[in-house]
Amino acid sequence: MSALIEIEQLTIKTADGRPLVTDVSFSIHAGEPFCLVGETGSGKSLVMHALMGSLPDELRCSGQIRYQKENLLALPAAQRRAFWGRRFALLPQEPWLALDPTMTVLDQVAEVLLALEGMPLGQARKLATTELSVLGLGDNLLSYPFELSGGMAQRVSIAMARIAASPLLLADEPTKGLDKALCQTVADLLLTEADAGRGLLVITHDLDLVAALGGRLGVMRDGRLLESGVTEPWLKAPTQPYSRELIAAMPQHWPRPQTKVSAQRSEVVQAQGLSKSFGDRHLFSDLDVTLREGEVTVVLGPSGSGKSTLGNVLTGLLPADAGQLIWPESASPLKYQKIYQDPPAAFIAHQTLRQSFDDLLALHGLEPARLNHLLSELGLAEALLERRPSGISGGELQRLAIARALLLEPVMLFADEATSRLDPVSQKKVIELLLAEVAERGLALLLVTHDPALAERIADQLIRLDQQPTDAAAQQQAA
Amino acid sequence: MKQRLMLRLMQCVAVVLMVGTLSFALMVALPGDPAMRIAAGRYGPDMMNSAIADQVRAELELEQPLAQRFVVWMGDLLRFDLGHSLVTGAPVVDEIGLQLGHSLMLALLAFAISLLIGPTLGALAGLMPGSWMDRTTLVLATALRAVPPFVLAVLMMVIFAVTLRWLPTAGFGSWQHLLLPAITLALGLAAMSSRVMRDAMVRVTREPYFAHARLKGLSDRAVVQRHGLRNASLPVFTYLGLQLVYLVEGVVVVESIFAFPGIGHALVHAIIARDVPMVQGTALAMGGLFVVLNSLVDLGCVQLDPRLRRAA
Repeated sequence: MSALIEIEQLTIKTADGRPLVTDVSFSIHAGEPFCLVGETGSGKSLVMHALMGSLPDELRCSGQIRYQKENLLALPAAQRRAFWGRRFALLPQEPWLALDPTMTVLDQVAEVLLALEGMPLGQARKLATTELSVLGLGDNLLSYPFELSGGMAQRVSIAMARIAASPLLLADEPTKGLDKALCQTVADLLLTEADAGRGLLVITHDLDLVAALGGRLGVMRDGRLLESGVTEPWLKAPTQPYSRELIAAMPQHWPRPQTKVSAQRSEVVQAQGLSKSFGDRHLFSDLDVTLREGEVTVVLGPSGSGKSTLGNVLTGLLPADAGQLIWPESASPLKYQKIYQDPPAAFIAHQTLRQSFDDLLALHGLEPARLNHLLSELGLAEALLERRPSGISGGELQRLAIARALLLEPVMLFADEATSRLDPVSQKKVIELLLAEVAERGLALLLVTHDPALAERIADQLIRLDQQPTDAAAQQQAA
Repeated sequence: MKQRLMLRLMQCVAVVLMVGTLSFALMVALPGDPAMRIAAGRYGPDMMNSAIADQVRAELELEQPLAQRFVVWMGDLLRFDLGHSLVTGAPVVDEIGLQLGHSLMLALLAFAISLLIGPTLGALAGLMPGSWMDRTTLVLATALRAVPPFVLAVLMMVIFAVTLRWLPTAGFGSWQHLLLPAITLALGLAAMSSRVMRDAMVRVTREPYFAHARLKGLSDRAVVQRHGLRNASLPVFTYLGLQLVYLVEGVVVVESIFAFPGIGHALVHAIIARDVPMVQGTALAMGGLFVVLNSLVDLGCVQLDPRLRRAA
């Protein structure tokens, strides 16, 4: 089988010569998925954009990317751009953000044909209708992106890629922001494309997806390809130490925590008969929850099931519709802290972290020494504070968010999907830190997640919120 | 949407009540003997004497107690009886009907010109942030907005009417008379809308859907036309509602300077002549117009943005 794409000694440098990707070589065969795995910042997205020809202008590429015996890197930009859609189709990260919010799904798929083949609108719409119906979106042709669930938006972007019949599909983090439960569905969709004889390059840090796709993979770190090979044996017996670390970071491979001695622990919040609904969407009713010091409570459920809302009710951020909440009399609301899902959104973007933390210390009259102590405890260099939130990694930023919450000496931490946007290694680090704080300070931890493996691994107490799956909910809304 | 329109209707009622009350208070609070003043206005200061003033007083029932006069005043208002001009004696409705037409013509032309200039330049600047185009339009917009409309109006007159002699300085009658006041208003409007459009465009070009539209194979032109302009124009359209304030304000000033017989001109003259029924009528017409146009903007926003449409 001849390779569809051959990448040889691809090196990407910044304008001032700093290497971002060094000597990466691999090939992609038609009909066989190739996954490029690695943590955020490992350079895997850069490789994909180098192949696409969509790198920022200031980056310099050397090496070869061969497609049909031609070195793409030697072609002028305009000629490479002509390949977009026709030869290489990109499945965007978080497709619900990559769809125009003000145009119907049907037209967004049809316009690909308009642009690529100059097809008249009527005919393009007809073909787009067929394509969307095949993918099970026949009832959503005239929906707008905000009326779709994450899984549906993913299928719309696949319809765009399919309709152009391009021989190579590039999928950028296709499971990012989706429920774990949808991982298999996404893998099946991608495999269908590969089975149709397309080349498939998947950029991801989701090893569950990698396992479901099979095929071959490459592991990247710090801009280098550490190893590449067939996926299945790699998952069972990785050779490189970093690969072992990656696999060990999957929650199902974490060591089981020792069962704790059930000492007499005091409650930090007690709730009885809680109910909450938004409009006619019923989230939960008659729910009894007690959170105790030193205990990890996990709320598990698909998106839209109301698990974050439950957390917000228990921390007093939202009122419940019915039911009783008892907080200890001595506890001020400041002692109930929340850690948010998306770390960059939880910090002020245009301030250095030092400024943000100084303001916080001044507001609460806290000693700067406390912060320094916490930072070293969480394994964060103090120099990080001189940067802005965009200048450090998501994992580090999330640990800073934890430091910020711990400064106030909380009795309870509510981590709202706090690790779902991090790569597995960073996720493991953050969870370990949280668990250490629980053990050391006797915090109550409430963790909200859609990952059953993670929930099962760390929960002392597990609350399942099983609502209708999001697809059905979104469909109802659209109807 | 129904709720929104109900809200607008209530705004209309509030405008009527407030303008009515304020006009009545004005009428009472004006210094001097209103009857003398009105008589002087009607017959000229030379002809005026106390007999004529008494006649006016009796005719307009100015002797009645305050509360009673207020009830009568508001009652007339709620029956849409705007009374007669104190100066000309003609029904206020007739006068306003004529002037409102002129003003609407001026306002619509100004609006159209501003939409032609503002969002177009704004979109171009937003597609090339930091370019000479962006910087030039920023300077122009800042300058035009910083200069009060009356200074701008005089400047336009000096340049285009006095020096170049392309257009008449002031007056009414032909389309040439309409042009200078309309452009004066339009420049002030375009100054703001171009910046709103520019910022919106910059935001849209950074959206993932904009980048993805290119990656899926659309040409730059198609990306801007199909995904850029509509999304960027949403905040501009919403902003039009706010711009109406500037327009109403501007109409008063610009009409007075260019001696354009519209409602703003009428308002100023009514104020100078202390012709309170006319003040009330013109203020009502302008307030009502503001609410009606804002309702149209609301409807337009809903048409443009499917998120609002589905929520409606």
